[in-house]
Amino acid sequence: MRHVCIVGTGMHKFGKFLDKSLKDITKTAVWEAIHDADIDARAIQAAYFGNATGGLTIGQEAIRGHVMLRHAGFEGIPIVNVEGACASATIALREAVLAIKSGVYDVVLAVGAEKMYLDDTARSIAAMSTNSDVEIMGGMGFQFSASYAMTLRKYMKKYGWTQEHFAKVASKNKYNGSLNPLAQYQKPISVENILNSRLITWPLTLYMCSTMADGAAAAIVCSEDFARDNGMDFITIAACCLRSGELGEDDDGQRHIAKEAYEVADLGPEDIELAEVHDAMAPGEMFRIEKLGFCTPEKMGELVDNGYFSLKGDLPVNSSGGLAARGHPIGATGLAQIHELVTQMRGRAGARQVRGKSSEFPRLALAQNAGGYVDGSPAALTVTILKR
Amino acid sequence: MEVSIKKGAFHKPESPDEKPYLIGSRCSSCGYMCFPKKEVCVKCVRDDCMEEKKFGPYARLDSYAVIQVAPTGFTAPYIQAYVVLEDGPKIFTLITGCEPRDDALEPGQKMELVIEKIRDDEKGNSLIGWKFKPVEEKNKS
Ligand SMILES: [Zn+2]
Repeated sequence: MRHVCIVGTGMHKFGKFLDKSLKDITKTAVWEAIHDADIDARAIQAAYFGNATGGLTIGQEAIRGHVMLRHAGFEGIPIVNVEGACASATIALREAVLAIKSGVYDVVLAVGAEKMYLDDTARSIAAMSTNSDVEIMGGMGFQFSASYAMTLRKYMKKYGWTQEHFAKVASKNKYNGSLNPLAQYQKPISVENILNSRLITWPLTLYMCSTMADGAAAAIVCSEDFARDNGMDFITIAACCLRSGELGEDDDGQRHIAKEAYEVADLGPEDIELAEVHDAMAPGEMFRIEKLGFCTPEKMGELVDNGYFSLKGDLPVNSSGGLAARGHPIGATGLAQIHELVTQMRGRAGARQVRGKSSEFPRLALAQNAGGYVDGSPAALTVTILKR
Repeated sequence: MEVSIKKGAFHKPESPDEKPYLIGSRCSSCGYMCFPKKEVCVKCVRDDCMEEKKFGPYARLDSYAVIQVAPTGFTAPYIQAYVVLEDGPKIFTLITGCEPRDDALEPGQKMELVIEKIRDDEKGNSLIGWKFKPVEEKNKS
Protein backbone atom coordinates (compact mmCIF):
# COMPACT_ATOMS: atom_id res chain seq x y z
CA MET A 1 0.00 0.00 0.00
CA ARG A 2 1.12 3.59 -0.63
CA HIS A 3 2.99 5.49 2.05
CA VAL A 4 1.38 8.73 3.14
CA CYS A 5 3.09 11.86 4.40
CA ILE A 6 2.62 15.45 5.51
CA VAL A 7 4.35 18.18 3.51
CA GLY A 8 2.98 21.24 5.25
CA THR A 9 1.07 22.33 8.33
CA GLY A 10 -0.44 25.61 9.46
CA MET A 11 -2.42 27.16 12.27
CA HIS A 12 -4.41 30.21 13.11
CA LYS A 13 -3.29 31.23 16.59
CA PHE A 14 -5.56 29.84 19.30
CA GLY A 15 -7.35 32.34 21.53
CA LYS A 16 -10.27 34.74 21.74
CA PHE A 17 -11.02 36.46 18.44
CA LEU A 18 -14.45 38.05 18.72
CA ASP A 19 -13.89 40.03 15.52
CA LYS A 20 -13.01 36.98 13.42
CA SER A 21 -15.37 34.44 11.89
CA LEU A 22 -14.91 30.70 11.44
CA LYS A 23 -14.28 31.51 7.74
CA ASP A 24 -11.44 33.88 8.61
CA ILE A 25 -9.57 31.52 10.94
CA THR A 26 -10.07 28.56 8.60
CA LYS A 27 -8.63 30.50 5.67
CA THR A 28 -5.55 31.49 7.68
CA ALA A 29 -4.76 27.92 8.81
CA VAL A 30 -5.29 26.48 5.32
CA TRP A 31 -3.04 29.01 3.59
CA GLU A 32 -0.36 28.77 6.29
CA ALA A 33 -0.25 25.04 5.50
CA ILE A 34 -0.18 25.64 1.73
CA HIS A 35 2.69 28.13 2.03
CA ASP A 36 4.48 25.84 4.47
CA ALA A 37 4.30 23.02 1.90
CA ASP A 38 5.34 25.48 -0.82
CA ILE A 39 2.80 23.85 -3.11
CA ASP A 40 0.55 25.16 -5.88
CA ALA A 41 -2.87 25.05 -4.17
CA ARG A 42 -4.42 23.85 -7.45
CA ALA A 43 -2.71 20.49 -6.81
CA ILE A 44 -5.09 19.83 -3.88
CA GLN A 45 -7.65 17.29 -5.09
CA ALA A 46 -9.97 16.90 -2.06
CA ALA A 47 -10.50 18.38 1.41
CA TYR A 48 -11.63 16.98 4.76
CA PHE A 49 -13.07 19.54 7.17
CA GLY A 50 -13.35 18.83 10.89
CA ASN A 51 -15.55 20.91 13.18
CA ALA A 52 -17.61 19.93 16.20
CA THR A 53 -20.18 22.53 17.17
CA GLY A 54 -20.59 24.95 14.28
CA GLY A 55 -24.28 24.08 14.04
CA LEU A 56 -25.02 25.25 17.56
CA THR A 57 -22.42 28.00 17.91
CA ILE A 58 -22.64 29.90 14.63
CA GLY A 59 -25.77 28.21 13.25
CA GLN A 60 -23.97 26.59 10.29
CA GLU A 61 -25.21 23.05 10.89
CA ALA A 62 -25.01 21.81 7.30
CA ILE A 63 -22.23 22.08 4.69
CA ARG A 64 -19.77 23.67 7.13
CA GLY A 65 -16.68 22.65 5.21
CA HIS A 66 -18.15 23.73 1.89
CA VAL A 67 -18.93 27.20 3.26
CA MET A 68 -15.60 27.69 5.05
CA LEU A 69 -13.44 26.29 2.27
CA ARG A 70 -15.20 28.18 -0.55
CA HIS A 71 -14.17 31.28 1.39
CA ALA A 72 -10.64 29.88 1.55
CA GLY A 73 -10.55 29.60 -2.26
CA PHE A 74 -11.71 26.08 -3.05
CA GLU A 75 -14.41 25.25 -5.59
CA GLY A 76 -15.03 22.11 -7.56
CA ILE A 77 -13.02 19.66 -5.47
CA PRO A 78 -14.83 17.18 -3.21
CA ILE A 79 -15.21 18.35 0.39
CA VAL A 80 -16.10 15.97 3.21
CA ASN A 81 -17.47 17.23 6.54
CA VAL A 82 -16.21 15.39 9.60
CA GLU A 83 -17.45 15.60 13.19
CA GLY A 84 -16.20 13.74 16.26
CA ALA A 85 -16.28 16.32 19.09
CA CYS A 86 -12.74 17.08 20.31
CA ALA A 87 -11.29 14.49 17.90
CA SER A 88 -12.85 16.02 14.74
CA ALA A 89 -9.55 17.27 13.29
CA THR A 90 -7.72 13.96 13.66
CA ILE A 91 -10.65 12.13 12.11
CA ALA A 92 -10.41 14.57 9.18
CA LEU A 93 -6.68 13.78 8.97
CA ARG A 94 -7.41 10.07 8.96
CA GLU A 95 -9.93 10.45 6.13
CA ALA A 96 -7.21 12.30 4.22
CA VAL A 97 -4.74 9.48 4.90
CA LEU A 98 -7.21 6.82 3.73
CA ALA A 99 -7.94 8.80 0.57
CA ILE A 100 -4.24 8.92 -0.34
CA LYS A 101 -3.71 5.27 0.62
CA SER A 102 -6.59 4.23 -1.64
CA GLY A 103 -4.73 5.70 -4.60
CA VAL A 104 -7.66 7.88 -5.65
CA TYR A 105 -5.80 11.12 -4.84
CA ASP A 106 -2.18 12.25 -4.60
CA VAL A 107 -2.64 15.47 -2.59
CA VAL A 108 -5.42 16.38 -0.17
CA LEU A 109 -6.11 18.91 2.58
CA ALA A 110 -7.15 18.16 6.20
CA VAL A 111 -8.53 21.01 8.30
CA GLY A 112 -9.92 21.40 11.81
CA ALA A 113 -11.56 24.63 12.93
CA GLU A 114 -13.71 25.80 15.83
CA LYS A 115 -15.27 29.07 16.94
CA MET A 116 -16.23 28.91 20.62
CA TYR A 117 -16.11 32.54 21.72
CA LEU A 118 -19.44 34.17 20.84
CA ASP A 119 -21.30 37.12 22.22
CA ASP A 120 -23.39 34.53 24.09
CA THR A 121 -21.44 32.36 26.55
CA ALA A 122 -24.50 30.26 27.50
CA ARG A 123 -24.84 29.17 23.85
CA SER A 124 -21.19 28.07 23.76
CA ILE A 125 -21.56 26.08 26.98
CA ALA A 126 -24.79 24.46 25.76
CA ALA A 127 -22.99 23.46 22.55
CA MET A 128 -20.15 21.84 24.52
CA SER A 129 -22.61 19.79 26.56
CA THR A 130 -23.58 17.95 23.36
CA ASN A 131 -20.22 16.13 23.48
CA SER A 132 -21.99 13.49 25.56
CA ASP A 133 -25.23 11.52 25.19
CA VAL A 134 -27.56 14.50 25.64
CA GLU A 135 -30.53 12.36 26.60
CA ILE A 136 -28.84 10.99 29.73
CA MET A 137 -25.55 12.55 30.75
CA GLY A 138 -26.07 15.95 29.16
CA GLY A 139 -29.48 16.24 30.80
CA MET A 140 -28.11 15.17 34.18
CA GLY A 141 -25.45 17.84 34.45
CA PHE A 142 -22.46 15.72 33.38
CA GLN A 143 -19.26 17.75 33.29
CA PHE A 144 -16.06 16.84 31.49
CA SER A 145 -13.91 18.46 34.19
CA ALA A 146 -15.58 16.23 36.79
CA SER A 147 -15.06 13.21 34.57
CA TYR A 148 -11.29 13.93 34.55
CA ALA A 149 -11.47 14.51 38.32
CA MET A 150 -13.12 11.13 38.90
CA THR A 151 -10.43 9.32 36.93
CA LEU A 152 -7.64 11.24 38.70
CA ARG A 153 -9.10 10.52 42.14
CA LYS A 154 -8.87 6.80 41.36
CA TYR A 155 -5.19 7.11 40.43
CA MET A 156 -4.51 9.20 43.55
CA LYS A 157 -5.96 6.54 45.77
CA LYS A 158 -4.35 3.61 44.01
CA TYR A 159 -0.94 4.99 43.00
CA GLY A 160 -0.29 7.94 45.29
CA TRP A 161 -0.57 10.66 42.65
CA THR A 162 -1.08 14.01 44.40
CA GLN A 163 -2.63 17.37 43.63
CA GLU A 164 0.92 18.73 43.72
CA HIS A 165 1.88 16.39 40.85
CA PHE A 166 -1.10 17.71 38.91
CA ALA A 167 -0.03 21.31 39.50
CA LYS A 168 3.51 20.44 38.37
CA VAL A 169 2.18 19.03 35.09
CA ALA A 170 -0.04 22.08 34.58
CA SER A 171 2.88 24.43 35.37
CA LYS A 172 5.17 22.60 32.93
CA ASN A 173 2.55 22.96 30.19
CA LYS A 174 1.94 26.65 30.96
CA TYR A 175 5.69 27.16 30.64
CA ASN A 176 5.73 25.32 27.28
CA GLY A 177 2.79 27.45 26.14
CA SER A 178 4.68 30.61 27.12
CA LEU A 179 7.27 29.69 24.46
CA ASN A 180 4.65 29.00 21.77
CA PRO A 181 3.64 32.13 19.84
CA LEU A 182 0.47 30.37 18.59
CA ALA A 183 -0.70 29.35 22.10
CA GLN A 184 -3.80 30.86 23.70
CA TYR A 185 -2.08 31.35 27.07
CA GLN A 186 1.54 32.51 26.95
CA LYS A 187 2.22 33.17 30.62
CA PRO A 188 4.16 30.77 32.84
CA ILE A 189 2.33 30.03 36.10
CA SER A 190 4.01 28.65 39.23
CA VAL A 191 2.97 25.41 40.90
CA GLU A 192 1.87 27.43 43.92
CA ASN A 193 -0.33 29.79 41.90
CA ILE A 194 -1.91 26.86 40.10
CA LEU A 195 -2.74 25.20 43.43
CA ASN A 196 -4.16 28.47 44.74
CA SER A 197 -6.34 29.23 41.73
CA ARG A 198 -10.11 28.75 41.97
CA LEU A 199 -11.32 25.21 42.63
CA ILE A 200 -13.26 23.82 39.64
CA THR A 201 -13.79 20.29 40.93
CA TRP A 202 -11.30 18.78 43.35
CA PRO A 203 -8.47 18.03 42.61
CA LEU A 204 -8.71 20.34 39.59
CA THR A 205 -8.16 24.09 39.86
CA LEU A 206 -8.83 26.77 37.25
CA TYR A 207 -5.28 26.96 35.84
CA MET A 208 -5.22 23.21 35.25
CA CYS A 209 -8.21 23.38 32.90
CA SER A 210 -8.63 24.33 29.25
CA THR A 211 -11.09 27.10 28.46
CA MET A 212 -13.04 28.08 25.38
CA ALA A 213 -10.98 29.06 22.34
CA ASP A 214 -11.17 29.98 18.69
CA GLY A 215 -8.67 28.45 16.29
CA ALA A 216 -7.89 26.36 13.26
CA ALA A 217 -5.17 24.02 12.07
CA ALA A 218 -4.48 22.33 8.75
CA ALA A 219 -2.18 19.87 7.03
CA ILE A 220 -1.33 19.09 3.41
CA VAL A 221 -1.30 15.31 3.06
CA CYS A 222 0.12 13.49 0.03
CA SER A 223 1.68 10.26 -1.17
CA GLU A 224 5.40 9.85 -0.51
CA ASP A 225 5.91 9.39 -4.23
CA PHE A 226 4.36 12.78 -4.93
CA ALA A 227 6.53 14.39 -2.24
CA ARG A 228 9.70 12.77 -3.61
CA ASP A 229 8.87 13.53 -7.24
CA ASN A 230 8.42 17.17 -6.31
CA GLY A 231 11.46 17.38 -4.06
CA MET A 232 9.37 18.19 -0.99
CA ASP A 233 10.42 17.94 2.66
CA PHE A 234 8.06 15.33 4.11
CA ILE A 235 7.15 13.65 7.41
CA THR A 236 5.74 10.12 7.07
CA ILE A 237 2.45 9.18 8.75
CA ALA A 238 3.45 5.79 10.19
CA ALA A 239 0.04 5.26 11.79
CA CYS A 240 -3.21 7.21 11.99
CA CYS A 241 -5.66 5.06 13.92
CA LEU A 242 -9.26 5.68 14.91
CA ARG A 243 -11.44 3.63 17.23
CA SER A 244 -14.54 4.18 19.34
CA GLY A 245 -14.55 3.75 23.11
CA GLU A 246 -15.57 0.41 24.60
CA LEU A 247 -16.29 -1.16 27.96
CA GLY A 248 -13.46 -3.65 28.42
CA GLU A 249 -12.20 -5.34 31.57
CA ASP A 250 -9.50 -2.78 32.34
CA ASP A 251 -9.80 -0.56 29.31
CA ASP A 252 -12.20 2.00 27.92
CA GLY A 253 -10.50 1.71 24.54
CA GLN A 254 -7.45 3.89 25.22
CA ARG A 255 -5.05 0.97 25.68
CA HIS A 256 -6.58 -0.82 22.71
CA ILE A 257 -5.95 2.01 20.27
CA ALA A 258 -2.39 2.58 21.54
CA LYS A 259 -1.61 -1.08 20.90
CA GLU A 260 -3.11 -0.88 17.42
CA ALA A 261 -1.11 2.24 16.52
CA TYR A 262 2.20 0.71 17.69
CA GLU A 263 1.45 -2.42 15.66
CA VAL A 264 0.62 -0.44 12.53
CA ALA A 265 3.79 1.67 12.91
CA ASP A 266 5.79 -1.43 13.85
CA LEU A 267 7.39 0.10 16.92
CA GLY A 268 6.79 0.47 20.66
CA PRO A 269 6.26 3.25 23.19
CA GLU A 270 9.99 3.16 24.05
CA ASP A 271 10.78 4.42 20.52
CA ILE A 272 8.70 7.60 20.80
CA GLU A 273 10.74 10.79 21.37
CA LEU A 274 7.99 13.38 21.68
CA ALA A 275 4.23 13.25 22.34
CA GLU A 276 1.22 15.53 22.25
CA VAL A 277 -1.59 14.08 24.35
CA HIS A 278 -5.20 15.07 24.96
CA ASP A 279 -5.26 16.94 28.27
CA ALA A 280 -8.39 19.10 28.37
CA MET A 281 -7.50 19.24 32.08
CA ALA A 282 -3.67 19.30 32.23
CA PRO A 283 -3.30 16.49 34.83
CA GLY A 284 -5.11 14.22 32.37
CA GLU A 285 -1.73 14.12 30.64
CA MET A 286 -0.62 11.68 33.34
CA PHE A 287 -3.22 9.01 32.65
CA ARG A 288 -2.87 9.47 28.89
CA ILE A 289 0.89 8.84 29.25
CA GLU A 290 0.21 5.77 31.35
CA LYS A 291 -2.37 4.36 28.93
CA LEU A 292 -0.02 4.95 25.99
CA GLY A 293 2.49 2.71 27.77
CA PHE A 294 5.22 5.34 28.30
CA CYS A 295 5.52 4.41 31.99
CA THR A 296 3.72 2.53 34.74
CA PRO A 297 1.28 4.38 36.99
CA GLU A 298 3.47 3.47 39.98
CA LYS A 299 6.46 5.29 38.45
CA MET A 300 4.51 8.32 37.25
CA GLY A 301 4.76 10.55 40.33
CA GLU A 302 8.53 10.23 40.47
CA LEU A 303 8.91 10.99 36.75
CA VAL A 304 6.74 14.10 37.07
CA ASP A 305 8.85 15.26 40.05
CA ASN A 306 12.04 14.73 38.03
CA GLY A 307 10.88 16.63 34.95
CA TYR A 308 10.94 13.55 32.73
CA PHE A 309 8.14 15.01 30.54
CA SER A 310 9.52 18.56 30.33
CA LEU A 311 11.15 20.07 27.22
CA LYS A 312 14.61 18.92 28.32
CA GLY A 313 13.39 15.64 29.83
CA ASP A 314 13.73 12.14 28.39
CA LEU A 315 10.24 12.23 26.85
CA PRO A 316 8.88 15.74 26.31
CA VAL A 317 5.06 15.72 26.41
CA ASN A 318 2.87 18.57 25.21
CA SER A 319 5.73 20.81 24.12
CA SER A 320 3.07 23.05 22.54
CA GLY A 321 1.55 23.72 25.97
CA GLY A 322 -1.13 21.06 25.57
CA LEU A 323 -4.85 21.76 25.55
CA ALA A 324 -4.87 23.91 28.70
CA ALA A 325 -2.12 26.31 27.54
CA ARG A 326 -1.99 26.10 23.73
CA GLY A 327 -5.81 26.17 23.83
CA HIS A 328 -8.60 23.76 22.93
CA PRO A 329 -10.89 24.98 20.13
CA ILE A 330 -12.26 21.50 20.10
CA GLY A 331 -12.58 20.71 16.39
CA ALA A 332 -9.08 22.10 15.68
CA THR A 333 -7.10 20.44 18.47
CA GLY A 334 -6.09 17.22 16.69
CA LEU A 335 -4.37 19.01 13.81
CA ALA A 336 -2.76 21.52 16.20
CA GLN A 337 -1.10 18.51 17.84
CA ILE A 338 0.13 17.38 14.42
CA HIS A 339 1.34 20.90 13.63
CA GLU A 340 3.41 20.90 16.84
CA LEU A 341 4.99 17.51 16.13
CA VAL A 342 5.86 18.44 12.54
CA THR A 343 7.29 21.78 13.70
CA GLN A 344 9.47 20.02 16.27
CA MET A 345 10.58 17.26 13.88
CA ARG A 346 11.69 19.92 11.41
CA GLY A 347 13.59 21.81 14.09
CA ARG A 348 11.51 24.95 13.78
CA ALA A 349 10.10 25.16 17.31
CA GLY A 350 12.36 28.00 18.44
CA ALA A 351 12.66 28.44 22.22
CA ARG A 352 10.67 25.26 22.92
CA GLN A 353 12.63 23.05 20.49
CA VAL A 354 13.31 19.58 21.89
CA ARG A 355 16.17 17.27 20.92
CA GLY A 356 15.92 13.78 19.45
CA LYS A 357 17.32 10.74 21.20
CA SER A 358 19.98 10.05 18.58
CA SER A 359 19.52 12.97 16.22
CA GLU A 360 19.33 16.73 16.46
CA PHE A 361 15.53 16.73 16.26
CA PRO A 362 12.94 14.04 17.13
CA ARG A 363 12.37 11.45 14.39
CA LEU A 364 9.46 9.54 15.96
CA ALA A 365 6.55 11.38 17.55
CA LEU A 366 3.04 10.51 18.68
CA ALA A 367 -0.23 12.41 18.98
CA GLN A 368 -3.18 11.13 21.02
CA ASN A 369 -6.59 12.78 20.68
CA ALA A 370 -10.03 11.90 22.09
CA GLY A 371 -13.53 13.21 21.57
CA GLY A 372 -16.83 12.98 23.41
CA TYR A 373 -18.25 10.57 25.94
CA VAL A 374 -20.82 7.76 25.54
CA ASP A 375 -21.97 5.19 28.10
CA GLY A 376 -18.95 5.65 30.39
CA SER A 377 -16.23 5.54 27.74
CA PRO A 378 -14.78 7.98 25.19
CA ALA A 379 -16.72 8.33 21.94
CA ALA A 380 -13.81 8.74 19.51
CA LEU A 381 -10.17 7.81 20.13
CA THR A 382 -7.22 8.45 17.85
CA VAL A 383 -3.48 7.84 17.93
CA THR A 384 -1.20 9.13 15.17
CA ILE A 385 2.51 8.31 14.84
CA LEU A 386 4.81 10.46 12.69
CA LYS A 387 8.19 9.37 11.42
CA ARG A 388 11.07 11.13 9.79
CA MET B 1 -45.68 18.93 35.94
CA GLU B 2 -43.38 15.97 36.60
CA VAL B 3 -41.60 14.62 33.51
CA SER B 4 -39.29 11.61 33.41
CA ILE B 5 -35.75 12.35 32.25
CA LYS B 6 -35.84 9.04 30.33
CA LYS B 7 -39.19 7.33 29.78
CA GLY B 8 -39.34 3.70 30.90
CA ALA B 9 -35.93 3.80 32.58
CA PHE B 10 -37.09 3.57 36.20
CA HIS B 11 -39.98 2.82 38.53
CA LYS B 12 -41.00 5.46 41.02
CA PRO B 13 -42.62 4.02 44.17
CA GLU B 14 -46.32 4.78 44.60
CA SER B 15 -46.31 3.99 48.33
CA PRO B 16 -43.76 4.12 51.18
CA ASP B 17 -43.36 0.32 51.40
CA GLU B 18 -42.39 0.04 47.74
CA LYS B 19 -38.77 0.32 46.60
CA PRO B 20 -37.72 2.12 43.43
CA TYR B 21 -35.82 0.28 40.71
CA LEU B 22 -34.08 0.91 37.41
CA ILE B 23 -35.01 -0.87 34.19
CA GLY B 24 -32.15 -2.05 31.99
CA SER B 25 -31.14 -5.08 29.98
CA ARG B 26 -29.13 -8.28 30.34
CA CYS B 27 -27.78 -10.42 27.50
CA SER B 28 -28.98 -14.01 27.87
CA SER B 29 -26.04 -15.19 25.78
CA CYS B 30 -22.98 -13.45 27.32
CA GLY B 31 -24.32 -11.83 30.49
CA TYR B 32 -23.55 -8.25 29.40
CA MET B 33 -25.73 -5.79 31.31
CA CYS B 34 -26.62 -2.19 30.62
CA PHE B 35 -28.80 0.65 31.76
CA PRO B 36 -30.96 2.14 30.31
CA LYS B 37 -32.47 -0.63 28.16
CA LYS B 38 -30.91 -1.67 24.86
CA GLU B 39 -32.26 -4.13 22.28
CA VAL B 40 -28.84 -5.07 20.94
CA CYS B 41 -25.92 -6.55 22.92
CA VAL B 42 -22.73 -4.59 22.17
CA LYS B 43 -20.58 -7.62 23.06
CA CYS B 44 -22.42 -10.24 20.94
CA VAL B 45 -23.68 -7.66 18.40
CA ARG B 46 -26.95 -9.60 18.20
CA ASP B 47 -30.53 -8.34 18.50
CA ASP B 48 -32.14 -11.54 19.77
CA CYS B 49 -30.49 -11.97 23.16
CA MET B 50 -31.32 -8.95 25.31
CA GLU B 51 -33.83 -9.36 28.14
CA GLU B 52 -35.29 -6.70 30.36
CA LYS B 53 -33.79 -6.65 33.86
CA LYS B 54 -34.64 -4.66 36.96
CA PHE B 55 -31.73 -3.20 38.95
CA GLY B 56 -31.70 -1.88 42.47
CA PRO B 57 -32.15 -0.44 44.88
CA TYR B 58 -28.52 -0.90 46.00
CA ALA B 59 -25.17 -0.10 44.41
CA ARG B 60 -21.51 0.47 45.31
CA LEU B 61 -19.82 3.81 44.72
CA ASP B 62 -17.18 3.63 41.99
CA SER B 63 -15.96 7.24 41.79
CA TYR B 64 -17.25 10.76 42.34
CA ALA B 65 -16.42 14.43 42.00
CA VAL B 66 -17.92 17.57 43.50
CA ILE B 67 -18.88 20.10 40.85
CA GLN B 68 -18.25 23.69 41.94
CA VAL B 69 -19.27 25.45 38.72
CA ALA B 70 -22.78 24.46 37.68
CA PRO B 71 -24.24 24.25 34.17
CA THR B 72 -27.66 25.82 33.44
CA GLY B 73 -30.43 24.26 35.52
CA PHE B 74 -28.13 23.06 38.31
CA THR B 75 -26.94 24.64 41.54
CA ALA B 76 -23.33 24.10 42.65
CA PRO B 77 -21.97 22.39 44.56
CA TYR B 78 -23.35 18.98 43.63
CA ILE B 79 -21.87 15.50 43.20
CA GLN B 80 -21.63 13.52 39.96
CA ALA B 81 -20.63 9.88 40.26
CA TYR B 82 -20.40 6.42 38.80
CA VAL B 83 -21.94 3.58 40.81
CA VAL B 84 -21.89 -0.15 40.15
CA LEU B 85 -25.43 -1.50 40.48
CA GLU B 86 -25.88 -4.61 42.59
CA ASP B 87 -25.72 -7.49 40.09
CA GLY B 88 -25.61 -4.86 37.38
CA PRO B 89 -23.53 -2.45 35.30
CA LYS B 90 -21.68 0.73 36.19
CA ILE B 91 -23.84 3.78 35.56
CA PHE B 92 -23.62 7.56 35.65
CA THR B 93 -25.62 9.22 38.43
CA LEU B 94 -26.02 12.24 40.64
CA ILE B 95 -25.63 11.91 44.43
CA THR B 96 -28.08 13.10 47.05
CA GLY B 97 -28.42 12.71 50.82
CA CYS B 98 -24.97 13.93 51.82
CA GLU B 99 -22.98 17.14 52.02
CA PRO B 100 -21.32 17.95 48.67
CA ARG B 101 -17.83 17.82 50.18
CA ASP B 102 -14.67 16.41 48.59
CA ASP B 103 -14.37 13.83 51.39
CA ALA B 104 -18.10 13.08 51.73
CA LEU B 105 -17.92 9.58 50.28
CA GLU B 106 -15.62 6.58 50.05
CA PRO B 107 -15.31 4.50 46.85
CA GLY B 108 -16.81 1.05 47.48
CA GLN B 109 -19.40 2.29 49.95
CA LYS B 110 -23.01 1.14 49.73
CA MET B 111 -25.48 3.46 48.01
CA GLU B 112 -29.25 3.38 47.63
CA LEU B 113 -31.39 4.46 44.69
CA VAL B 114 -33.80 7.35 45.02
CA ILE B 115 -36.08 8.75 42.35
CA GLU B 116 -36.31 12.50 42.60
CA LYS B 117 -36.14 15.78 40.77
CA ILE B 118 -32.97 16.33 38.72
CA ARG B 119 -33.73 19.85 37.53
CA ASP B 120 -36.39 22.05 35.97
CA ASP B 121 -36.58 21.99 32.19
CA GLU B 122 -37.01 25.02 29.92
CA LYS B 123 -40.83 24.74 30.08
CA GLY B 124 -40.88 24.76 33.89
CA ASN B 125 -41.49 21.01 34.25
CA SER B 126 -39.74 19.04 37.01
CA LEU B 127 -37.44 16.52 35.36
CA ILE B 128 -37.48 13.34 37.47
CA GLY B 129 -34.65 10.82 37.38
CA TRP B 130 -32.37 8.56 39.38
CA LYS B 131 -29.93 9.55 42.11
CA PHE B 132 -28.10 7.56 44.76
CA LYS B 133 -27.66 8.31 48.48
CA PRO B 134 -25.18 6.80 50.94
CA VAL B 135 -26.57 4.16 53.31
CA GLU B 136 -25.24 3.20 56.73
CA GLU B 137 -23.85 -0.32 56.64
CA LYS B 138 -24.60 -2.47 59.67
CA ASN B 139 -22.00 -4.78 61.24
CA LYS B 140 -19.19 -2.75 59.70
CA SER B 141 -16.01 -3.72 61.50
ZN1 LIG C 1 -24.14 -10.59 24.68
